[in-house]
Amino acid sequence: MVALLLALQLRTITIDQRLATDAHLRVGDTAVISATTGTDGDSVTIAAIVGRRADPSEIARSEYRVHLHLDQFQRLIGYGDRVDRFAVSTRGDAAADSAVRAINAAAFGFRAYRSHEIAVETSETFAVVSRFHRAIGVITIVASAVFLLCILLLKVDERRRDVAALRLLGISRRSVMLSVVLEAALVSVIGSGVGVGIGWVTSLAVNWHYQARYQTPLRFALVTGDIVLFAVSLSLVLGIVAGALAARRLVRTHPLVLLGR
Amino acid sequence: MTVLVRARDVRRDYPLERDAVHALRGVSLEIVKGEYLAIVGPSGCGKSSLLNLLGAIDAPTSGTVEIEGRNVGTLGDREVTEFRLKHIGFVFQRFYLLPILTARENVELPMAEAGVPPAERRRRSAELLRYVDLGDRARHRPSQLSGGEQQRVAIARALANRPSLLLADEPTGELDARTGQEIISLFGRLNDDGTTVVVVTHDESLARAARRVVHMRDGEIVQDGVPHG
Repeated sequence: MVALLLALQLRTITIDQRLATDAHLRVGDTAVISATTGTDGDSVTIAAIVGRRADPSEIARSEYRVHLHLDQFQRLIGYGDRVDRFAVSTRGDAAADSAVRAINAAAFGFRAYRSHEIAVETSETFAVVSRFHRAIGVITIVASAVFLLCILLLKVDERRRDVAALRLLGISRRSVMLSVVLEAALVSVIGSGVGVGIGWVTSLAVNWHYQARYQTPLRFALVTGDIVLFAVSLSLVLGIVAGALAARRLVRTHPLVLLGR
Repeated sequence: MTVLVRARDVRRDYPLERDAVHALRGVSLEIVKGEYLAIVGPSGCGKSSLLNLLGAIDAPTSGTVEIEGRNVGTLGDREVTEFRLKHIGFVFQRFYLLPILTARENVELPMAEAGVPPAERRRRSAELLRYVDLGDRARHRPSQLSGGEQQRVAIARALANRPSLLLADEPTGELDARTGQEIISLFGRLNDDGTTVVVVTHDESLARAARRVVHMRDGEIVQDGVPHG
């Protein structure tokens, strides 16, 4: 009965997933928290275990996270009735603007920011990293594109005997051009489709590995609609250009020359 | 007898840096409708050059080549391409079937280019494949066919637009003796059915099967007559 009453009186805390795993704690367990090791503390009940947010800034943090009631926290660390930062939730953008203006006008020593401004500021590093990745991506794509262009030109050049035979049979230059360009476009679209498929599967593997390693829902590799559209469009344009260039060269050469006579 | 092809004093020179190769030195030849002609001679004698001129693939350096009364040497690229499509069938030594297409589709290709409606194309390609004894292989791709079968598909393709002249350049050159004999028989059958056939060959049995044999040497016709033996 005493234990039950005690349990009812215990304050609750939340801990993060990593602490729960390392300390073998579960929801409903009782723990003692104190400001420093070896000193007396408060017995608390673990009310929830919190997973990490999909936030890049969380990845590098190795400390454990515990959420407890503000008054209990202040009493434990002897900090008094003061806070450095607090968040205000508003209803809608207009309310946020007026709240920012009101706080900045009334509360001397405080500075209010919109959450978006803080997010932009704190994610500046990641924005730089993201730009760096994009630059690597563009260089890779351009290099691959040149390679693809050369391969397509060579592949079409291999068809010189087929093209010669078609021309001798009476197939017009226009028809030969059209068929080569269509074939190159089709091969490019199929190739980019296969590439997108491989990219998607790879992104799943990358995410699975790093999400497990850092215990985060953050997605490290993304295959978005924009990326798919860019890849397919670039491949299609390259295919058509390569096909047209190679076909133009072939149909302008006399069929007998193409046959090596 | 109607003259189908008339070559008059045809010369074909291939310029080199300082000199020229005289592949044909004033060749004159008439081919009448329904003829089966073999052009034979040693390598480099000019027989393939002559075939290229007879097929409107190449233009003579001098002289004229008329096919069905048209001087093909004066036609522009577009006109001569269309002329070949509708009036001349080609059979090559190496078949040159498109590997991605089935036998039927290969046969339909020249018809599609000529604007033959799809239903008619299908009917005629089936008929032609039956004619070359490949009615049951219509859906096979070239890689699924033997060399002899591929050559028969190529012959069916050459006949697709009902050409007035069928030209063949070493059509048995890539085939074994037995398969070559089948192709020779097929050419004989085609000629019996009214097709004008001109073949360039080293194959003596193919030359013997022709009704007329033209012997060439050094760019000139040295003998023109019926085959021996």
